[in-house]
Amino acid sequence: MSESNELTAASATLGAKVAESRPLDTSVLNKDNESIELFSVEQWIENVDEVSKLGVGVIVKPADDVQLLKDTLNDVALIALDFNNFDDGRGYSQAYLLSKRWKYAGEIIGINAHLDQLQFMLRSGVTSYKLLEGYEGFDELDYSNGFSICYQAAANNSGLKKKF
Amino acid sequence: MYQYSPEDTKFLVERVDQFEKQLKRHLDGDLDAAKFRSLRLRNGLYMELHAHMLRVAIPYGTLNTIQLRALADVADKYDRGFGHFTTRQNIQYNWIELSEIANLLRELSSVGLHAIQTSGKATRNITADPLSGLTEGEIADARPYCELIRRWLNLHPEFSWLPGKFKIAINGAKLDETALRVHDLGLRLIRNKEGELGFTVYVGGGLGAAAMVAAETASFVPVEDILSYLESAMRIYNLKGRRDHLKKLRIKFLVRELGAKEYSRLVDEDWKQTRDDPELKLNLTHLSELEKDFALPIKPLALDGFVDKVDFNYSIWKKNNVRAHKVSGHSIVNISLTKLGEAPGDATSEQMRILADLADQYSYSELRTTKRQTIVFPYVRKDQVFDLWQSLEKYGLASPHQGTLAQIVACPGGDYCDLAKAGSIPIATRVQQRFDDMDKLLDIGDLNINISGCENSCAHHHVADIGLLGMQKNGEEYYQITVAGETLHKTVIGKKLGPSVSGDNVVDAVEDIVNVYLDNREEEEKFTEVFKRIGIKPFKEKVYE
Repeated sequence: MSESNELTAASATLGAKVAESRPLDTSVLNKDNESIELFSVEQWIENVDEVSKLGVGVIVKPADDVQLLKDTLNDVALIALDFNNFDDGRGYSQAYLLSKRWKYAGEIIGINAHLDQLQFMLRSGVTSYKLLEGYEGFDELDYSNGFSICYQAAANNSGLKKKF
Repeated sequence: MYQYSPEDTKFLVERVDQFEKQLKRHLDGDLDAAKFRSLRLRNGLYMELHAHMLRVAIPYGTLNTIQLRALADVADKYDRGFGHFTTRQNIQYNWIELSEIANLLRELSSVGLHAIQTSGKATRNITADPLSGLTEGEIADARPYCELIRRWLNLHPEFSWLPGKFKIAINGAKLDETALRVHDLGLRLIRNKEGELGFTVYVGGGLGAAAMVAAETASFVPVEDILSYLESAMRIYNLKGRRDHLKKLRIKFLVRELGAKEYSRLVDEDWKQTRDDPELKLNLTHLSELEKDFALPIKPLALDGFVDKVDFNYSIWKKNNVRAHKVSGHSIVNISLTKLGEAPGDATSEQMRILADLADQYSYSELRTTKRQTIVFPYVRKDQVFDLWQSLEKYGLASPHQGTLAQIVACPGGDYCDLAKAGSIPIATRVQQRFDDMDKLLDIGDLNINISGCENSCAHHHVADIGLLGMQKNGEEYYQITVAGETLHKTVIGKKLGPSVSGDNVVDAVEDIVNVYLDNREEEEKFTEVFKRIGIKPFKEKVYE
């Protein structure tokens, strides 16, 4: 494919529009295989007084302002970051803020994840993940743990020799 | 000279192994073109008009001769015997087979070279002043900082999927040979009143369709805090940068839309929370190790009674291509690979090997690459410059045209690049043919002409004395002319002269502009000085009369 055609192809996958036309996940299986109901950030903020003790999770889209969750983080049962859009890297900063800066202790699950991005997700602070379909049959370790060394501080550097 | 440790080399090989698996999945139909595109660009691989292009980084523009010979071997083994040195301290190969790319990259990794993050929406190769460490009045050699920041950005988990590409340059010298303020982020080494070393930070510069000069976002960031500052600067971009409009992805649009003040405020607010994090402090032990690795291999040399040879061609070449070195008894020698009529920056494998041999003999086995697509020998003894010139002359590498207007910076253009709207090299050739009189070239002196084949502005036409931008009008090649751009003393984006000019007329227009300069020049005035004094009108009148 030529580079200009590639640009056109890439623009089709760009931005929030595509993500928004896709129905949001309404529940997810946590690491203990329990189904957790997911609220959008807006729903969570609106209903926080009623639902905060009900074990509800929050789904964060790339365009969401994760700062809005900061004050009620301890009441969120699980946070699902949506990595569906391959080229949209906001989820990595969201994971960093939730995990490293605000020390969210619950599960941060990367949903609609891509095999090739596991190493970035996990080091940014995502604690579990659910791959999109189509990645079956490949060794996930090649992509979640393919390197022996890391050159920067991150939310999670486990198993890596640090050089920074 | 600094060399990778075995663990760094291992990392490079691990990266190749992973990319090889991704390539196989793509060829097997298990990884779609859009995702593979994202991944291969982060490994320097483009699908070009006729074949696949690979961009290999030359970090901070410094090469040793072992590396240069490896680049020559790659050119012979995997390409058609040549490579193209770019304006941003990379080398590109244009005829790479997909099936051979992993082996090619493994060969390069054995000499500490790689193609990691040389393209794609990630942090690109960090460029430095090609004369780092060599000139009088420099605050500090930028390269140890380039290396530490390069390492830190290697597969950075948070910043590998940015809204757009992200180019960083670092300068420690008085003059700005890096064009800092047309980068996404520029760092200038400075000392504060207390004598402490730090950086002034500029964010949001860029060329392309909307050329902008970067805004100063911090006047002084202590060196040990630079990583935390960069982290905040990039986090704000990653979270808030435009991702919805293909032409507004770069950080310059975010800075423009928010305003530099608001962007800086957001960065500072984030930075407050991390600047004391010990894991984000620059590792001063690593820094001092690197400073030793990058220390100059030469000592001052007393050449009492040395008198240089007198030779007409040698003197002309020397005037334009040899610069004073801060270490006495030495010179800095600039070498252009380009013969008239050839693509600027192109080098054959044979030329690369000749340069490697000569650098072993005359320059402590080290070379630098520059944004004018030339090669610098950083450590030549003054009493050996003549011998070096004779050797260069023998191999056709010492044309007296070097350092004159005839040494044009041009991108590969429509003849090689699928993005280009018009040719670059044919125009460069025609300009060179027009100005083939050596006396006139010497009279004109150092005047930059840069030619980009499209708005991506790979030849940096906005910051040249005369810039040409190729475009299409009714299916024909046209060129928009900008004049009086500069970066060396301060950063100024060139002014548009007027309507674009057809390919047939563009060389006449260039000659008109040069003649207006010559007619109005007083004493040793440079092009930009004349322009400031007389304004755009005389140039405009002459070209469009």
